[in-house]
Amino acid sequence: MRLRFLLALWMAKLSIPALKITKHNGTNYPGELAIKICPEFLKYVKKPKRIITVTGTNGKTTVSNLIIDSLESTGMKVLNNRAGSNINSGVATALINGVGLFNRAKYDLAVLEVDERSSKKIYPYVKPEITIITNLFRDSIMRNAHPGYIADFLTDSIPPETKLILNADDLISSAVAPNNERVYFGIDRMDTDVTECINLINDVRVCPKCGGSLKYEYLRYHHIGKAYCEDCGFKSPEYDYVAKDVDIDEMTLTASDKGGSMSYTLISDSVFNIYNMITVIAFLREFGMSHEEVHACLEKVHIVESRYQLTRAGTVDVVVQMAKDRNALACSRAMDYVVQQPGKKEIFLMMNNFSDEKKWSENTCWMYDCDFEFLNDEDVTHIVATGPRGKDYRLRLLIAGVPDKKIDFVSDELEAVEKLHFEPHTSIYIFYGTDALALMGKVKDKTIALATQYTERG
Amino acid sequence: MKIELLYPGVANLYGDLMNVRYMAQCTGAEVVETGIKDTPHFTYEDIDLVYMGCTTEKGQSLIRDAFRPYVDALDQRIDEGGVTLVTGNALEIFGQRIDNEDGSSEEMLGLYNTYARRRMMNRYNSLYLGMLTDFEIIGFKSQFSHSYGEMPTPLFETIRGAGLNPDVTGEGIRINNFMATYVEGPILIINPLFNKYVQKLMGIEVPVLAYEKAAMDVYKTRLAEFKEPTRGFIY
Repeated sequence: MRLRFLLALWMAKLSIPALKITKHNGTNYPGELAIKICPEFLKYVKKPKRIITVTGTNGKTTVSNLIIDSLESTGMKVLNNRAGSNINSGVATALINGVGLFNRAKYDLAVLEVDERSSKKIYPYVKPEITIITNLFRDSIMRNAHPGYIADFLTDSIPPETKLILNADDLISSAVAPNNERVYFGIDRMDTDVTECINLINDVRVCPKCGGSLKYEYLRYHHIGKAYCEDCGFKSPEYDYVAKDVDIDEMTLTASDKGGSMSYTLISDSVFNIYNMITVIAFLREFGMSHEEVHACLEKVHIVESRYQLTRAGTVDVVVQMAKDRNALACSRAMDYVVQQPGKKEIFLMMNNFSDEKKWSENTCWMYDCDFEFLNDEDVTHIVATGPRGKDYRLRLLIAGVPDKKIDFVSDELEAVEKLHFEPHTSIYIFYGTDALALMGKVKDKTIALATQYTERG
Repeated sequence: MKIELLYPGVANLYGDLMNVRYMAQCTGAEVVETGIKDTPHFTYEDIDLVYMGCTTEKGQSLIRDAFRPYVDALDQRIDEGGVTLVTGNALEIFGQRIDNEDGSSEEMLGLYNTYARRRMMNRYNSLYLGMLTDFEIIGFKSQFSHSYGEMPTPLFETIRGAGLNPDVTGEGIRINNFMATYVEGPILIINPLFNKYVQKLMGIEVPVLAYEKAAMDVYKTRLAEFKEPTRGFIY
C-alpha cells in the first residue's frame, strides 16, 4: 500500500506543473489522479494537525474564504481548497499541496470547504477538530432530494470527536450529529422579521419532536428563525454567539457571547451575509481569539459579491444576478433581494440549466417551489422570459399573478434582449444560472449596448 | 367546490403543492388544509378532490401514523367514487410496506398489495411519458424507491421512462377515482389535459383551465421534446 500511495502522490505532484504549463491550474485533477491510483489516498496522505471544515447549503464558500483570509491576516499559514473544488478530489488536491514528496505535512492548519454529499468520502479519513455547518436548505431535487436527507448524511459521516458550530436559527442543520459537542450561533430579532412564513418553501412546518404545528417568535425567510412548539415545549437552541442590534443603515451589528460583546461593521447588507459574518465570528472566538482580535481580522477582509454585478449604461442600471439554476431557494432569495431594491425594474429570466437541455430536458419542479410571487410587484414593470424553459417561466409567472401584459417570451436569449423596454432610470436585472456564464456575458454586453444607445437617444 | 390538501406541513416537496393552488385557480374551489394532528375533512364533509404530495422518508412514517385511523374512511370514499390524487412517494404510504437497504421494513397502510424498495444511495431521476385514455402524460421522477409486488391497475401506461418500477410499463395505481403516481411536481399544471380529466371526475362538465393558452403551449413544447427519440430520459 505504501508504494501505491507514494506512486499516487508523486504522479499527482508531477501533474501540477503540467497543469500550470497548460493553464489548467485550479482543477481537481491531481486529487482525482491520486484517488484513482490509490483509492484510500485520503487515508494515507499526511494532514495538518488542526483541520477545520465548512459545509452547508449556502454560504460555505464565503465563510471558508473569510476564515482563511482572517487567519492569514494574522500571519498564519492556512492550507485550503479554495482554488479547487469541495468534493473528495478537491480536498485531496489541497492535501497534496500540503505535503512534500515524502508525505511530510508542511502546514499545521487546514480550512477546507466540504460539499455535503461528499462527506461520506471525506470524513472517514479527514477528521476535523471543528466542523461549521452554515445551514441546510433545499437544493437540487435530483441530487440532494430534501434537506433532511442531507442532514442524515452529515450525521452519519461527521466523526463523533468533531466539535460542531451550528446555526441555531436553522432547525435542520442544528440537529445534525446530536451527540457531538456543539455551540450555536444566530441572529437576534430583526426589524424585518415576521412570524408567518411567506415563502413557498418551509421545510420545518411541524415540530420535530411531536409533529405539532410549529410557531415562530420570529422568522426571517423559509424555516430560518426562532421556533417553538406549543404542544410539547420544544424550542430552537439558545445562542452561544449572537448578532444583536443589526443596523443596516449604519452597517453595524453587536456580537455577543459569554466572554463579552463588541460592535462590528457589517461586511454586506444582505441577511445571508450577516449570517456568514456571525458564523465567522463564532468560529474565530472558538479558535481562541478575543473580540478585539476578531474585529481586527474582519476589518481587513471583504467578500466578493460575484453573484451581483451592476453596470451603469446611459441612464439604466444593468445588473447581472446569479440565481442558481434548478434551485428554488437560491432563486427565491435572489428574487426577494432584487424586488427589495429601490426603483422600477425590468426582469430578464434566463436561469435555465443548459447542460440538462442538451442531453435531457430540465426537471422544472423547482419552479413551483420558487417564489416567483415576489415578481408580482408594481415596481416590476416588465419581465422577459427566455431560453428553452421560457414558456415555463411565463406560465409560472401567470400563476404567481403577474399580468400577461407585463410578460414577453422570446426563445432566443440574444433576440430576447431586444424586447427589453430600456425605460430611463430603471434597473434591468438579468437572472442567470451557474452554467450559462458565457451566454450571460453576451446577453449582458448586448443589454448594456442597447441601454446606452436607447437612453442616450432619449 | 372544495379541495382538501392533506398534510402540507410534511407533504410539500418538489413543487407538488402548486398543483392545488393552480387547481383552485382553474375551478374556483376553496382549499382546506389538514394538519398532521387534524381529522381529514373528507371524513366529515363533501370534498371534491383530496390531494397529497411528496414527502420525506420520515414524513412517510408520520403520515402513516396520522392517517391510520382514516383508512376505512378512505376505502369508503373510493367505493363512493370520491376523487383522490396522490403524487410521488406518497403513493408508498398506501402500499403494504417499505423495505430499506439495511434489511429493515416499515409497515404501511395496506390499501393495495405493492411494496416499495428504498435505496437511499441510489436516487432515480428521469423524465416520464405515458398515456391515460386518449392523451399523453408528461412529467418528472426523482425518487429513492420503486414499487414491486402484486401490480394493481395502473393509472398510466408508460411510453418512455419507468412504471411503478423500471421493469414494468404500468405506472401508478388506479382504484375507481383514487389515483396515485410516482410522477411528481406540477403534474396538474404541465398536463392540461390531465387537469381537465380530473376536473371532469370532480363533476365539472365543462372544465376550464387558468391561463389555458400558456399551459397548452408548455404542454405541447415539452411533449414534442419528450418524444424526440434521441433525447435522454434517465439522468
